Amino acid sequence: MIKFGEGNLRVPQWSRRVFMVAGGCTPFRKYFPEYKLEELVMMGYKMMLEDNDLKLSPKEIKDSIQYAAYGEFADHFQDQLLCEAKIHDYLGLDPLWNTGIKTGGATGGAAMLNGCMAIASGYADCALVSGWERMDEVDTRTGNFYISTAACKDFETRMGRIYSSYYAPMANRFAEAYNLSEVTRAKVAVKNRGYAMSNPNAQQPGHHTVEEVLESRMSAYPLRFLECCAMTAGSASALLCNEEMAYKLSDHPVELFMAGGTHTLRVADRRHMDIPLLPNEKPGMYDELLKESGRWPGFESFLAARFAAYLAYRMAGIHDPLEELDLVELHDAFTISDIQTYGDIGLRPYGQEPDYIESGDAYFEGKCPSNLSGGLLGTMHAVGATGVWQACEVFWQLQDRYDYIHGDKKWWDRAGKEKPADWKSLQVKDPKQGLWISHAGVGSHVTCGILRKAW
Amino acid sequence: MSKAYEGSLTTKYIGTPSGLFDQSDDFWVINFPRSFTHQHTYGLLTPFFRGLTEGKLMATKCTNPECSENSTWLPPRADCPDCYARTEWVQVPSEGKIYAYTMLDYAGIGIEMETPYWQIDVQIEGVDTIFKGWLKQGKPVTGMPVKAEFRTEDPTYTILDICWVPK
Ligand SMILES: [Zn+2]
Repeated sequence: MIKFGEGNLRVPQWSRRVFMVAGGCTPFRKYFPEYKLEELVMMGYKMMLEDNDLKLSPKEIKDSIQYAAYGEFADHFQDQLLCEAKIHDYLGLDPLWNTGIKTGGATGGAAMLNGCMAIASGYADCALVSGWERMDEVDTRTGNFYISTAACKDFETRMGRIYSSYYAPMANRFAEAYNLSEVTRAKVAVKNRGYAMSNPNAQQPGHHTVEEVLESRMSAYPLRFLECCAMTAGSASALLCNEEMAYKLSDHPVELFMAGGTHTLRVADRRHMDIPLLPNEKPGMYDELLKESGRWPGFESFLAARFAAYLAYRMAGIHDPLEELDLVELHDAFTISDIQTYGDIGLRPYGQEPDYIESGDAYFEGKCPSNLSGGLLGTMHAVGATGVWQACEVFWQLQDRYDYIHGDKKWWDRAGKEKPADWKSLQVKDPKQGLWISHAGVGSHVTCGILRKAW
Repeated sequence: MSKAYEGSLTTKYIGTPSGLFDQSDDFWVINFPRSFTHQHTYGLLTPFFRGLTEGKLMATKCTNPECSENSTWLPPRADCPDCYARTEWVQVPSEGKIYAYTMLDYAGIGIEMETPYWQIDVQIEGVDTIFKGWLKQGKPVTGMPVKAEFRTEDPTYTILDICWVPK
């Protein structure tokens, strides 16, 4: 039984409040030969500067930045070490300090957390967070191999050379332990790919049926192609500020709370431990469940996600996440990892995760809709950008600007697409706060961020 | 030795032109070939990989009396993460039960097994972790007993030198 040290459970505390005032992103595509990487980053950065109703000009904002946190998943994909220097120079931000962040699939979230730390500590009053990935220099199977080198090269990579094969055993285990049907899994893919239809930047939007998902090609049993996210080229940026700068720049700033957790890279190495309880959970409530499954987190859950939520909810003073959060953006790289996370972050108690989907809570106009952006399944997974972009999508929802960002013809034109005649607004009505999860496989790093309306 | 640095030079291009992969009026995409071999050490875990070639499944155990866990590790690790003591090698039973599984249909480039195949996670008596491997024959079911087979002839010197069959 693994136990945490007393000091390990201290809840992080910002030394001063942290705010997000702007976000930007590129369209997301499988293949993006029209632009070099730094040109893509500039595109998302300029959207951040120009399209967020900020009260200073882009040049004035540029002159206010003191720090940059950059997220990039893999040098393999960019085939360029020290992209951070190239991009920082391209954005004209020398000689300001910047840090390159790498935490696998959670890279974007980790870059956001790093930006928060710069603001909270006083290193900066105004910090840029930018993430990117260009996964289109290699073919898909080579890309899958690259990603699988994020699994343990000695004991895991050779066992599949594709990440779906490290999540799929969890899916089978979860199905048996917590009574998850493949129809529920497929509904996640249908939902998120469907929501991507409203997003001009989406890479693989589509109105699919459960049958189509289940009949799509098998990647690693039971995960089908339509249950797996895409490889993407694209970028996203966010602007973080201290309180004074936030209100100087924006009439609609959003306050940010954020924490992270980690766990063994190899699922194999997970040993049994006590479940760190969320504010609304009672000691003893999982005794029966643990009697059956024998170990926690086993292959069913993610300690990293649980620990990140454990800290972030306490930082933000959230007691009951399902009641108090108005929307969430989860890391749906695979249908199963999305579902596993529902328990970790308390949208349902452990063992009842499928009910978050089946009850309708997860849908638009449900109690706490998830991935209205289209998520990783429908819209993008340009890995280093993902956790930044998810924050942007929650941010725009809180500002009541979903319709402008997703519905204005300008963005459909930018993406080179026709706005669908049946385009549907997914703006949540009067949202107060939302959450996003950034997750590295197989639950090695997870960040949990909470954005709260601050005007 | 050349004394070229003392004089002027005429230089020839000796590379191989990469060629264009894709092009339009607006952009060129060039080929950018990459091919390397890394030399990778197994370090203190070498006894594990040598063990596979000798038909033995070797794990490490923390035997420090001060340690709160004294876990047995497979994959092994040379240093205990709980107390930081050096662990000791122990041979563990080359049999166990299937804890989880998947059938791998679409694998990444360079896959060394014929696809599709069953990848399995094996729970072994006395081991605190769960060990990933592949099933050489049969169909997995959770809880199914399996035993290890070792590639002692013509080993690959990798984790693929162990696989499992129904017991
Ligand atoms: Zn120890």
